[in-house]
Amino acid sequence: MSEPTVSVPLEVYRFDPATDAKPCYQKYALDLAPHTPVLTALLRVRAEVDPTLSMRYSCRSAICGSCAMLINSKSRLACETPVGPELAAHGRIVVEPMRNQPVVRDLVVDQTPFWREYRRIEPHLKLDKDHPMPEGKPNPMSPAEVERFHETPRCIACAACYSACPAVEADPAFPGPMALAKLYRFVVDPRDQAHQDRLVRIQTEGLWLCLRCHLCTEACPKDVRPSERIRDLKELAIRAQGATERGSRHAVGFKENIRDRGTLNEMKLVRQTYGPVGMLGQLGQGVRIWRKKPEITKRPHPIQGADEVEKIYEALDDGSGSK
Amino acid sequence: MKLAYYPGCVAQESGRELDLATRWVCRAVGIELVEFPTFSCCGSGFLDEANEVLNVAINARNLAIAEKAGLDLLTICSTCTGMLTLANHRLHDPAVKARVDGALRPLGIAYGGGVKVKHLLSVLTEEIGLDTLRAKVKRPLAGLPVGAFYGCHLLRPSDEMGQASGEEPHAFEDLLAALGATPVMYRGRVMCCGFPIQFVKPETASRIAGRQLLDAKEHGAHALATPCPLCHISLDAYQNHAEKAVGQPLQLPIFHLPQLVGLALGATPEELGLARHLVPVDPVLAEIPGPR
Repeated sequence: MSEPTVSVPLEVYRFDPATDAKPCYQKYALDLAPHTPVLTALLRVRAEVDPTLSMRYSCRSAICGSCAMLINSKSRLACETPVGPELAAHGRIVVEPMRNQPVVRDLVVDQTPFWREYRRIEPHLKLDKDHPMPEGKPNPMSPAEVERFHETPRCIACAACYSACPAVEADPAFPGPMALAKLYRFVVDPRDQAHQDRLVRIQTEGLWLCLRCHLCTEACPKDVRPSERIRDLKELAIRAQGATERGSRHAVGFKENIRDRGTLNEMKLVRQTYGPVGMLGQLGQGVRIWRKKPEITKRPHPIQGADEVEKIYEALDDGSGSK
Repeated sequence: MKLAYYPGCVAQESGRELDLATRWVCRAVGIELVEFPTFSCCGSGFLDEANEVLNVAINARNLAIAEKAGLDLLTICSTCTGMLTLANHRLHDPAVKARVDGALRPLGIAYGGGVKVKHLLSVLTEEIGLDTLRAKVKRPLAGLPVGAFYGCHLLRPSDEMGQASGEEPHAFEDLLAALGATPVMYRGRVMCCGFPIQFVKPETASRIAGRQLLDAKEHGAHALATPCPLCHISLDAYQNHAEKAVGQPLQLPIFHLPQLVGLALGATPEELGLARHLVPVDPVLAEIPGPR
């Protein structure tokens, strides 16, 4: 028995830099069953209406990672996004190319920056020269060791996370969620001998620009949860190298800030992150804010039971990153 | 309704106007706030970056305080909501729970996992209800175009935060409409405010804040409202930096969520601490007729 169809208004981004001055949105209306994937809808447009519509796709089964695009502004795989719920929420389906990558044509983007960041983290095992892979024998890991990176191998490199990331959008120094999630995978692989080098490098190469907005985790079709792996990398980097960068100094400064009084001392935190000299650069803005909010210079009262917080620290804080 | 009030650090310091407005609104709608001077900071996401288990333990202590009193927790900050909720989730991991319990037990603290963390936004929209709020409006917001700015940690990760969608929420817009405002839909409403890297790379943080502010303005917003005092710092106190980043004046007033609710329910600007903002709200106040 076939499902009843609904009329689906599609608005598809069209742009050919060779001939078009600017992009436009072309409208199509198709009768489709609600469970029909957006990719199937686009392929029907191409087969029946307009053979010039360009897009990337291959497996149609959420395995190859080719068909990521913007569907009603969300970075998603077109092959596993059904038209029904999108239509119900928005009354139409707007399809656009992924963000943060230049458009080649229509829905096809240039993925050079995405792959460049991936190569930069050297996504392969680096073995100790004195202890090479045992020839002809397995190099086993315990289940507990494998469990530490059970999510990252699911990644299909579709770049939906890269497209969704506001840090990538704002700063080319940020490697992007996938590259960092993949880096984490090698950092916790017991066979990899370059943990320390990898962590030292990434501290200065964009790790601390992650905004922990979790938009990557929202976009990821494979539940790799890149934002959570980036958090793990931050803690590992502090443990490996200490608080050497402004980002790690801020995280460790915050940790120390609330240790003794249980509550945040905003002024002290600025001093901890910038240092006494760097504080001077903040003076102008500080005075501007102080005029409206004079209490920022006062030390906050400690909470009652601050000694309990101190004892929790004694039990769980190994002093990582502290001077 | 009785809830354990978790104001968070900023509302007790540079964001005192948020605490002021929250107390006014809760009095007006009948939420009894039970206060605990024993609550500590939630770690604001930064403690989580430095030490995950310590962050969970600090928040388990906060949750245990509410649990002992038999109360759920009322939060007024997206980040506090996120950190306390994540603590509830991460305690499902037996290894994390064992370490946290090990640190709390000697202090005579036990957390059974039974406390719900509720942001004022969800208490107002789901428990008090929009019909009740509508009936209490004394100064309808006269169709004022207002953009909601949610703050990441209230929404995401959506599976852990119990949100139907981490990218397409509507509770805040529903609330704004109930107060008589016209909700403005723009992409930036669910985006980052830049605050987490305000100290790491201020120019990038300002570019991010500027992008969302400009987006809201271009979609017709005369003001924004946020349920997060950290977003408020980024969007209001540092709006001058955002203006430099986008190369144009913005002057977009930013309200804390309960300030806008309070205004519609008849509070005076003084009662809501509106003069404490860096970007003046007077042009917006002039657009709304006085209480009826």
